[in-house]
Amino acid sequence: MLLISNLVKAQTTSKEGELKLHLNYQYGIPLGDFKNDMISNGSARGYSGSLMYQISPKWAAGISAGYQSFLQKYPRAVYETGDHEATSAVLTNSVEITPLMATGLFTPLAENGKILQPYISAGFGVNMLSFRQYLGEFGGADNKATLIAQGGAGLQITFGKAKESGFSIGANYQYVPYQRNGYGNMNNLGLQAGLYFPLK
Amino acid sequence: MKNKFWFVPGLFSSLLFVTGCSKDPLQNLTPEESRIYTTSYDSSANFQDYKTFSIADSVAVIDNGVVVKQHSASDEAYLNAMQNMMEQRGYLLVDKNQSPDIAIAVNRVYNTTTGFFDYGDYWDYYGGYWDPYYWGYGGYGYNVPFVFGVYQITEGLYSIDMFDLKNATTNQEINLLWNGLVRGEGVFNVSTATEAVNALFAQSPYLNTTH
Repeated sequence: MLLISNLVKAQTTSKEGELKLHLNYQYGIPLGDFKNDMISNGSARGYSGSLMYQISPKWAAGISAGYQSFLQKYPRAVYETGDHEATSAVLTNSVEITPLMATGLFTPLAENGKILQPYISAGFGVNMLSFRQYLGEFGGADNKATLIAQGGAGLQITFGKAKESGFSIGANYQYVPYQRNGYGNMNNLGLQAGLYFPLK
Repeated sequence: MKNKFWFVPGLFSSLLFVTGCSKDPLQNLTPEESRIYTTSYDSSANFQDYKTFSIADSVAVIDNGVVVKQHSASDEAYLNAMQNMMEQRGYLLVDKNQSPDIAIAVNRVYNTTTGFFDYGDYWDYYGGYWDPYYWGYGGYGYNVPFVFGVYQITEGLYSIDMFDLKNATTNQEINLLWNGLVRGEGVFNVSTATEAVNALFAQSPYLNTTH
């Protein structure tokens, strides 16, 4: 594949001052404490979008927003819910992550005009976090704003004569700090696939 | 001229669809999964020391503080299930006049909470929804002095209590030994009683005695 891509060359892929919209479908995978203590299943309920300004052919900066929900229902078990108190229940954890971030995108080989363009990205911003936990049908929610940081890498597959648009596939690691009731950070990995295209 | 953004509406529609796929945790619960069984007990009590029990022949229905005695089909099912489980754990059923060590009371509790809907700016912008001109009174404003939204939620549950009669004279009071709560959907169904009481006893292994 790389051999083929090396044979295909075209003009530049991005122009300075260009505004591009990136839209991605996302599959979220919980990591670390998030996976061990709250939700172990991955979730196909996610997407993200970015509006990126092309500073140079290699560098772009902009804002990105997204949404990823996780839900897991655990079989009935007995939980210690107080001193000498036990509760038998089906436990359901639901987490929704909605970040809004300043994002940078670096495409190191942008000037070679090849179809396949690796990229790395980083973002930092705020996250509207919703954590709901239920024992049976009884529970509550912890909704709060948190910081969020994200780093990602992937591959852009350009199309069209100008190579300004394309498909992209990649992965993002999200650092989502959280500390409450013995639960820790909700870090996760997002596997993404999507499109990008210029808006002008 | 060809529109190069022809696919954008479709993409946004797809994103909205994905958002709409966000699952409501409670909609995925069956009635059985919605129920919870909670037990608590007096950790200073040695349940091996108690040998006999008596169980009330009816159920106290506590509806927002008003108490009546009833004996519905589901009440009967809970009373029978409690008797069966106590006997399986080695306790002997005796009449309440035969100085039982443990008294068991089953209660059906209804608790209604009242709240107010938050209408936000609903009334503030009412003139925008229905311009008074529509009614032939252009220039008038709406006056809404009394409307508010009230909702009520009633939760019902079974609460089962075990009291210490064995040491009542010594203590000069009747101490609570054990409590079991059954909450959630279908708790008042006859078919739920055995399953619920079994669950309460399964998480209370200390409830047993030998003769």
